[in-house]
Amino acid sequence: MSAWRPLLVVAALSVVLAGCGSASTSGTAQTAASAAPSGPWSFTDGSGKTVKADKTPTRIIAHAGEAAALMSFGIKPVGIYADESVTTDLNLKDLDLTGIEILGQEWGKIDVEKAAALRPDLIVGDWWPAEKAHSGFEEGVDEKSKKLAELAPVVGVAQGKSIVDLAEGYESLAKSLGADVAAPAIAANKKRFEDAVAAFKTAVAAKPGLTVAAMSPADDKLYVANPEYAPELLDLQSWGLKVINPDTPDPGFPYWENLSWENADKYQPDLILWDGRNYKPTSNAEWGEKQPTWFKIKAAKAGAVAAWPAYWLHTYGDFATELEKLTEAIKTADPDIGD
Amino acid sequence: MSNSTHVTRRASALGPGLAVLFVALALVAFLSVTQGSRSIGLLEVLHALGSLNSDVSTDSTVTLELRVPRTLLGIVVGAALGVAGAILQGVTRNPLADAGIMGINSGAAVFVVFAVTVLGVRGAGVYVWFAFAGAIAALVLVYAIASLGREGATPVKLALAGAAVTAGLASVTAGIVMTNVDALNELRFWQVGSLAGRYAPILTGVAPFLLLGLVASLGFGRVLNGLALGEDVARGLGQHVTRTRAAAFAVVAVLAGAATAACGPIVFVGLVVPHAARFICGPDYRWILPYSMLLAPIVLLLADVLGRVVAAPDELQVGVVLGVLGAPAFVGIVRYGRLSEV
Repeated sequence: MSAWRPLLVVAALSVVLAGCGSASTSGTAQTAASAAPSGPWSFTDGSGKTVKADKTPTRIIAHAGEAAALMSFGIKPVGIYADESVTTDLNLKDLDLTGIEILGQEWGKIDVEKAAALRPDLIVGDWWPAEKAHSGFEEGVDEKSKKLAELAPVVGVAQGKSIVDLAEGYESLAKSLGADVAAPAIAANKKRFEDAVAAFKTAVAAKPGLTVAAMSPADDKLYVANPEYAPELLDLQSWGLKVINPDTPDPGFPYWENLSWENADKYQPDLILWDGRNYKPTSNAEWGEKQPTWFKIKAAKAGAVAAWPAYWLHTYGDFATELEKLTEAIKTADPDIGD
Repeated sequence: MSNSTHVTRRASALGPGLAVLFVALALVAFLSVTQGSRSIGLLEVLHALGSLNSDVSTDSTVTLELRVPRTLLGIVVGAALGVAGAILQGVTRNPLADAGIMGINSGAAVFVVFAVTVLGVRGAGVYVWFAFAGAIAALVLVYAIASLGREGATPVKLALAGAAVTAGLASVTAGIVMTNVDALNELRFWQVGSLAGRYAPILTGVAPFLLLGLVASLGFGRVLNGLALGEDVARGLGQHVTRTRAAAFAVVAVLAGAATAACGPIVFVGLVVPHAARFICGPDYRWILPYSMLLAPIVLLLADVLGRVVAAPDELQVGVVLGVLGAPAFVGIVRYGRLSEV
């Protein structure tokens, strides 16, 4: 009996809210409707499945980075679930989240009761081809949290080989939801991104001998990223940057090659791309102090390190900002430090 | 009287046995400095050891700043865990006793998590002291709870108090870690017992405590022999049972606390090695203690070298290797050994 109680509360709440909702939410519905085509709506999800609805969704709940992507095209979700605090999440930390319900700030935990009260008509989360699941519904997520999928259809763009593809995917999702992607303020982001790519390509082409490696130092090991599983690194490679492909990635978790600290100097790039999720300007000096072999990587010793936006990018704007920083680092890098 | 001749006969073999173990430990230590996940030629190793200059090459840095401290740490930590386990098994007359079931690991973990979440402390070099304090606090708590009541800290009450405190502290840790990703990440590094990533500062930090504890521990042979006969007999022989127990716990707290603080919880060494020592020496703690003290670092270093060599250029944590190898070893001892003769 006690197990039923939360469900009853949800049911009761949604009935009550559905009752008064038609009156109280008509305001927001109208503003959305002014831009949104009223439907029917359909979108081809990252899994290949086409999701259809009679009316274009307007009450969207989105995972953190996906929410940032939609917001960059002017589509404001009603609720967000994040994997960490929304004040530190790299996708969200600079966004104005007023009026958006925060449904979770920890991986695998979503407040479905609160989500139900929002009466969503669409859930947006990246599609992970390897795990065959959307963000928020992967293996390991609370079974209770996964009930979010029962509230509305779930769609997302496939995570894969390119952040550009991801950003384009969300651009077309936003368009289908009624976003005016040609509006000057919105189009400016994409323009800035295209300029950043051009500048990046020029900087890379000017230093043909430059090699970089993406690394994440940890207390017991040094992790070297495998670009094959890091879409932003594949993008950088496609624009001409020589990102080292580690030769023996961990078979069980091929995102990285794990090096013991004894083997820290196995790769000698000219520039180190440092996992941006735990990079500070002081990091290089700290790790040089802490790990006797960190400075045996010549680039580290020379201070040739730059932040790498690891595994989080979703928008043209964020990618442009990160690319501008990387371009600066490449311009100042010495292509003869490493081997 | 036949018993005493038996003991002297044993002693004549056990003395040289200790010398053999000592040589074996030296060999394993040599192995630990020369072998690893990076292949370094013997000549380079010897050259580095001879010059004591770690700036010449990466090989010399690895030898002098990674492998030498790691090996020394493995020796003192292994010795400490072995002896602490032997003393605990003797003083609690519980064949399953080791530092883990007396709450040491869970106490250290709670303090590490507390340091990370509340005080914002980062890095192995700092929270080693929190882990040490936590290990000691947990052991004191276990002893205090077990001491309640007229008969004092009996073996049964110690085991129960240890289990209760471990469970309680572990759930506090789990509660904090569930809601704090930072704490989880820091704890993840600490919680798999490992000799990797620990360098000279940690060694010099804990070594004085460990050496002091090791010297003190050797004085417990006779009183543990007394306790092994049962509390009443020990009292009849003129022992202060309560005082002995308290002193033994203090030594264990320092040894296992500092060892766990430095390397994280390392399983099986403290549990299995004293049984192996008892298997060799018989029931006399005056031999079991020094045998445990030499056998344990041999086992620990061998496991560590194995973990470093099999997965190169990666490494397996020694805690993982010991877990995999320790279980069958323990089964072997249970099958052929004298587990009940604690």
